[in-house]
Amino acid sequence: MNTLDASAKLWTSEWCRALGFLDGVPTWFYFFLALVFTYCFVVIPSGSVLSYLDRKLSADLQARVGPNQAGPAGILQPIADFLKLLQKQSTEKSNWREDVWLSIHTMALYSTLAVMPLGTFALMLDTEMSAFLPFWSALVLALGTMLLGFSQGTVPGWFGGMRIAAQTMAGSFPALMGLLCTGVRTGSFQWSQLATIQGFSPLSWTVFSNPFQTIACLVFVTSGLVLSATPPLDGGLSMSDIHGGVASQLHGRKYSLYRFGRFYVFFLWSVITVVLFLGAWILPLEVSRFLSDKGANRILSILELILLLFKTFAVMLTVIWIARVNPRSRVDQITSLAWKVLSPFSLIALVGASLWMGWRNLG
Amino acid sequence: MAQYLRAIGAGAVSIAGTCLTAVPYLFRWGELHKEVTEGYPDPVSSKTSDDLPPRSRGLLVNDIDHCTGCGDCRKICPVQCIHLEVEPQADDSKVWVSRFDIDNSKCMFCGLCVEVCLPGSLNHTRQFEGAAYELSQLTSSFGKGQVTAEQKAKWAAKRESNKKKEGL
Repeated sequence: MNTLDASAKLWTSEWCRALGFLDGVPTWFYFFLALVFTYCFVVIPSGSVLSYLDRKLSADLQARVGPNQAGPAGILQPIADFLKLLQKQSTEKSNWREDVWLSIHTMALYSTLAVMPLGTFALMLDTEMSAFLPFWSALVLALGTMLLGFSQGTVPGWFGGMRIAAQTMAGSFPALMGLLCTGVRTGSFQWSQLATIQGFSPLSWTVFSNPFQTIACLVFVTSGLVLSATPPLDGGLSMSDIHGGVASQLHGRKYSLYRFGRFYVFFLWSVITVVLFLGAWILPLEVSRFLSDKGANRILSILELILLLFKTFAVMLTVIWIARVNPRSRVDQITSLAWKVLSPFSLIALVGASLWMGWRNLG
Repeated sequence: MAQYLRAIGAGAVSIAGTCLTAVPYLFRWGELHKEVTEGYPDPVSSKTSDDLPPRSRGLLVNDIDHCTGCGDCRKICPVQCIHLEVEPQADDSKVWVSRFDIDNSKCMFCGLCVEVCLPGSLNHTRQFEGAAYELSQLTSSFGKGQVTAEQKAKWAAKRESNKKKEGL
């Protein structure tokens, strides 16, 4: 799909046309608007909602109270946190190497906004390679985190950096195999293809299409947690012997930037999981056909986004549930899990899924 | 191979078991699964007006009208957080406590000063939230204020005349 088609299909161009301004602006402007709006109105609100739900639910699961001061039942806690973090200042002199690596870390992270699949009309880069782009980002992110740790010149930074690199390398292989399994079913790695092969009903989701895809889905989610160092598999970042690892030297706004980055990876990974395995944003056929016949593409894109975010939150809350009631694994246990359990099972899933497709095609 | 698969199965069962164990806590089913942490004792979350233990020691307060300015509290204070200035008054048996400052940032709430206070004017309140926006607000002052030179001279004159009377 070339750039012009993509921009004509992009949701921002729909809105600009509907609101009747910005006629004849260059194509890149629609992309720019889409990036900014996705970040400000999808990613950041998701972060605040999830941080509140995480804190409140984990408090409930652990027989604690949780946030209860800011607003009714502490519902305004994310806003209070945000205002507090804005006020905080770094206590130490600025370390330019740290600044550089934190910037690279952040840029690697948010470059994936361009390939984030959020609906039929939110696909900015819908190429044959789209599904692989978040992988490169995750690897660059791990490199950035490692060098961020090295630049601090401390024991927690050094070991935390090494561990995060080891963990990411261990997690990326099974994750890639899991992605290939969906490619085997779809015959493409284009977001739109990966999504439209599925349907609204769970029976048509990739995860339930055959037992090997179920294995692939489980492996993909787990190795995503290893790859992005998300709890409960965040040993590389948060082991007690390195006192918080790379994050131990970050303060104030830098720390909040870093923490929000960690959330973003988790969010991105859950969105990708939903798109690959759990029915993506696909609405019931009648609904989407009715709306697109009416030309109500804006309503359609909003409904798709709501469905996608609902599923994403379900995946994230399940992971949070597991993370909050189980002890954190050691980093060597995590890499061992990734190499010795996830990798073999991902290969089994890949071979099995390929044979299944071959047998079906023969039949 | 069998051992490998059994280990994976055991891990999965263990994780699922832990997750299911936590479910009753999420919905607070029964007395056993209620939250065990207590709310911080402040007006918003406290269940009663005073959740503190009966003998808890809060910020110090001095009833300056009953204070004799003897300075025992200042002497016994292990962290020297009490600053005391007194002026002799007209009557020899009385003193004017012009300054009685307690530096709450130094005070460690040991309670020794309250024990030695003979007139019992120094006491602990039950207030414990001493955070302040300015450094100066961390000091609680109970003194009656500095005495002017004029007043000092007056008192001195009165004392002199009293002494003379006694001498007579």
